[in-house]
Amino acid sequence: MTATPVTTSTERAAPRSVPLFPVIVELVQRNMLAITRVPAAVGPILVMPIFFMIAFAGSYSAITAIPGFPTDNIYNWFVPYACIQGAAFGGIGIGFGTARDLENGFYDRLLLAPAGRRALVLGPLGTSLVRSTFPLVTVLPLGIVLGADWPGFTGLAMLILTGGIFACCTGLWALGVVYRLRNQRSLGLVQVGIFATLFLSIGQVPLAVMEGWLHGAARFNPTTNLLRMARQGFLDDGVTWTLTWPGLVASAAMLAGLGLFALTGLRRLDD
Amino acid sequence: MTVGIEPHRTASADLHPVRHLDAFVVMARRSVIGFFRQPASWIFGAAFPLLIAAVSASAFARATSLQDFPDSRSFLQFLLAGTILQGTLFGSINASTDLALDIENGFMDRLLASPVSRVSILVSRLAGAATYGAGVTLFYVVVFRLFGAPVEGGIPGIVVMVVLAMVMAIGVGGYGAAVGLRTGSAEAVGNSFPLLFILLFISSAFFPVELMSGAYRRVAELNPITYVIDACRHQVLEGFSLGEAVVGLLVAVAFAASTIAFALLQLRRKLADVS
Repeated sequence: MTATPVTTSTERAAPRSVPLFPVIVELVQRNMLAITRVPAAVGPILVMPIFFMIAFAGSYSAITAIPGFPTDNIYNWFVPYACIQGAAFGGIGIGFGTARDLENGFYDRLLLAPAGRRALVLGPLGTSLVRSTFPLVTVLPLGIVLGADWPGFTGLAMLILTGGIFACCTGLWALGVVYRLRNQRSLGLVQVGIFATLFLSIGQVPLAVMEGWLHGAARFNPTTNLLRMARQGFLDDGVTWTLTWPGLVASAAMLAGLGLFALTGLRRLDD
Repeated sequence: MTVGIEPHRTASADLHPVRHLDAFVVMARRSVIGFFRQPASWIFGAAFPLLIAAVSASAFARATSLQDFPDSRSFLQFLLAGTILQGTLFGSINASTDLALDIENGFMDRLLASPVSRVSILVSRLAGAATYGAGVTLFYVVVFRLFGAPVEGGIPGIVVMVVLAMVMAIGVGGYGAAVGLRTGSAEAVGNSFPLLFILLFISSAFFPVELMSGAYRRVAELNPITYVIDACRHQVLEGFSLGEAVVGLLVAVAFAASTIAFALLQLRRKLADVS
């Protein structure tokens, strides 16, 4: 009778005795090591954003002539979008890693470890933050070589900030799905969700150019505000508080909602 | 070990032509039934292009007013040809995954040991892809028509598009089969999909080549998929044109013949490795 309460109290007490930060750092290091051991996994993060930037800018170069388009340089529009897309791949990547750990049983060991449950979420998020910088060092220089304008240090900071936030959002979404479905096949659903979010936003064209149902969907999609925040350094008006605060509010809402989704999913693993 | 190949050739040559046809029909039917028995593998491939079309039609609706944009009722009507090719590519890769599964589970070895020509074994396996190409074309034509984007070429134009989609499906299936035969892995076939996606993107599928610029435009103009899409698009936007249909068909047939030849080459290599 007494056995169960004693075990529970021990488990609850354990997280207090193990500092959170070192565990998070260890998990980040482990995940980064996994990337170097599976170079094929880095390909999508580096290559796909470059491809999307070139493909979108090449295919749709004429759309800057549409009245209401905020720039006459197509690279200024698609370079930040490609960086954010690349950051999203970082989030998907931690979903794959976690699903693999769940399938091969390694995650059970992590659950048994005397560390706080929050570390199991914050560790992968730290990894996705690091990975969100990968496309910045490939897409941005190439984009500038191809014709994009230098966004300035404030504009660059906005792009880095938004990339990190979006990587965390996609990471939390991926973890929430993977914790519930517990296999790598579930990553298909994760990808569909992320692509749908990006498609139904101002990823391709601004609200002023959209028509029909997409205009309504993009207007209420929080990703729209994130993309506005990311792009502002590349557009004529530069970085302004008017475009920054809606992005920060949308970020807070997305992180809170998706964080809850991931944590409740993690709790289900204990059931 | 070469014994396994030589008797096959003799037996295959002795087989009456009608029996060849019978064997082809039976294997093609197996391919079609097998393909449609797994809706999970193709429903997403059929639905995803519709989602892209719906988004693009709203996002780029005003692009139709750009100078040099082809005359069309709407951007949705412009997109029909590209959507058909996109759906065909997505489904065909799944069909060739089945061939790789045949290799993985050993069924391919039984077929190769049977007195059936190797071309029949390969092409019949792509019948599922071809049927899917025809089906998805008709499906998209109906859906687009419901949303106000008809095919101006009428029934003859639709027939042209169905034929082009079927040939392209066989071509893409041939490419997937080559990858499958080379690697023997269904996963590798699936992973080869991005290459097709790139080929599709750098074409006239999503935007007119006339409005592209620089090196990207030149690559798009040389891309064989552009010729097939333009042939389809002519039937949609301007009406039936036999000349455009023939150009598109010639390119599609050349594409399919080259990928099937490549797949047969991989099959020969596979047999040589075994022997």
